[in-house]
Amino acid sequence: MKEVSEIVEYCQGLYDDLEFTAVREWKDAEPGRRVIGYLPVYVPRELIHAGGMLPLGILGGGENLEVIHGDAYYQSYICRIPRSTVELAVTNRLDFVDGMLFPSICDVIRNLSGMWKLMLPDVYVRYFDVPQNYRDDIGGSYYVEELKELKQGLEGVCGRKIGDDDIRRSIGIYNDNRKLVNAVYDFRAKQPWKAPSSEVYILMRAGMVLPVEEHSQLIQDYLAAAEAENRPMRDNCRIVVQGSFCEQPPLSLIKSIELAGCYIVDDDYMLVARWLLEDVPTAGDPIANLAESFIKHSTETAAKYEPDGSRKGKHLIGTARSRAAEGVIFAAPSFCDPALLDRPMLANALSRENIPHISFKYAENSGQMQPIREQAGTFADTIKLWSEA
Amino acid sequence: MTMTAGIDVGTGAVKAVVFGFEDGGASGIEWLSKHTAKIRQRDPFRLARQTFDTALEEAGVKKQDIAYIATTGEAESLTFSTGHFYSMTTHARGGIHLMPSARAVLDIGALHGRAISVDGRGKVLDYRMTSQCASGSGQFLENIARYLGITQEEIGELSLQADNPEKVSSICAVLAETDVINMVSRRISAPNILKGIHLSMAARLVKLLRANRVMEGDVLMTGGLALDIGLRAALNEELADRNVSIEAFSHPDSIYAGAIGAAIWGAFRYDKLARLGRLAKAS
Repeated sequence: MKEVSEIVEYCQGLYDDLEFTAVREWKDAEPGRRVIGYLPVYVPRELIHAGGMLPLGILGGGENLEVIHGDAYYQSYICRIPRSTVELAVTNRLDFVDGMLFPSICDVIRNLSGMWKLMLPDVYVRYFDVPQNYRDDIGGSYYVEELKELKQGLEGVCGRKIGDDDIRRSIGIYNDNRKLVNAVYDFRAKQPWKAPSSEVYILMRAGMVLPVEEHSQLIQDYLAAAEAENRPMRDNCRIVVQGSFCEQPPLSLIKSIELAGCYIVDDDYMLVARWLLEDVPTAGDPIANLAESFIKHSTETAAKYEPDGSRKGKHLIGTARSRAAEGVIFAAPSFCDPALLDRPMLANALSRENIPHISFKYAENSGQMQPIREQAGTFADTIKLWSEA
Repeated sequence: MTMTAGIDVGTGAVKAVVFGFEDGGASGIEWLSKHTAKIRQRDPFRLARQTFDTALEEAGVKKQDIAYIATTGEAESLTFSTGHFYSMTTHARGGIHLMPSARAVLDIGALHGRAISVDGRGKVLDYRMTSQCASGSGQFLENIARYLGITQEEIGELSLQADNPEKVSSICAVLAETDVINMVSRRISAPNILKGIHLSMAARLVKLLRANRVMEGDVLMTGGLALDIGLRAALNEELADRNVSIEAFSHPDSIYAGAIGAAIWGAFRYDKLARLGRLAKAS
């Protein structure tokens, strides 16, 4: 059995590698292999996989990438992920990527899709426009057409038809992966001292660059190793992190929250792996099944439009309750409209339920952790010493 | 008796205490032992373990007898602790334990100064902290003492002998050190230099108190500089000049305030977790 340290070291290597060596090696292993990059928050990776291609999650350049050219493409009041993603492109770190999907998370990412077309005219680029209306007859039928168009575009990249059976098989493989991802989250919520969030985070990040089958095996190895490892339980409070679904926090920020006395028992870091809440049916029309799962069984975070104001925060409150969380930390990237515009509504919903919460902002390259430690530490103390529970 | 320990890893020193509690502290708190060690470029975590072990030995107890090992300061990463409390929380509680009448605590350590207003339970009501600049901190004062060729223990007494103190003009450590070098070349006496530094530090600390809206009552000095009688005198002079009804005090065990607060909050948490059936266990 693999040791936790061995798995963590492997994941850390993948996380640190801004050249995407593992993906390049996968592509070079067989002629004709294709890589499709995607940005947060959600794309149907099943369709990419069904075409025999590797979905590559691109979550910005992180804390170690120096952005030199990327800043020239954006005004100063824009978040950092598009700048560092541009930096990755113009420094040829993504020169092996055959296609890029830009989901409709915000205007900045939508505009990045247009810029990508101008910068890299030979690369397949698609602005993946998911519905904002969740009625079957409106958003549902629209999304089916969107998926069909995407499939057609992907077929152009992989050079062959993507059959229904291919998609059904991929749906099954991603269902298995989603179950394992959820198993890690359940395990961490039950015994957070055995699965530190800094480890869980890079384990999930590995799923952004590895073939899904390898990632599923890695998760199984981690679960077995973490269960077997004897780690002491500490008197930390249990918190949910909310608002980090697009630009990712630096790993040191996650570590700082934990060091300050908080066990993170749920988060929204890489929603692509947890966007769908239930298995996608493997029988029947696979495109219709993917669309129906999106419309009826997708997670309700700030990344998803909720027209009914009275429902705002219900999912977050439900998560906090089911994970026995004692508080919520809103940690959103600076200038992240979806997260920051939702935050007051979510915070109000939490206050009505007497769930303590704090908020701060970060950038993917934030380096000064003292204020974070201070806020998270005093928040943890307040919960531990002055809460009724 | 329930025993808890508090370990405070500061920038300059490590402090450890062991306390005994009857009925979760309701029937009494007994201070069993204390120990401190200067870090002096040693591994602070190894030193924390040694200091803790010495405190256990002095209390005549073993690690497994300790119900809750609480850390504070920079000790988050200590692997053998039960829980960690932020230093502001522990200095507030430790300050109230040492001086129940205090309504504010001035934690003056090697790197930072903090003004913390507290209620009678030791709950933090508000706080302000100096910026990252090291001027106005214990480390700065220690450096100046070394340049002047005097020991840290002599600083307070010498400062009290000043007759014409010269304030350092800057809040930047680098420029303040330049100021001191100029004073030495101008043959300003060591007492006047030290008193000037104390007055500059005191002015910054009083600003923190005022920003915290602490306008009256007793203030307890904690942290590594709490026993510096020169700084305390300068602080009271500065307070008097500002016409506020605040008096600054220190306690012989002021440097242990963080560790004391950690141990007391550890006992509180142990009691609470026991009631909730959620006791954490130290490794």
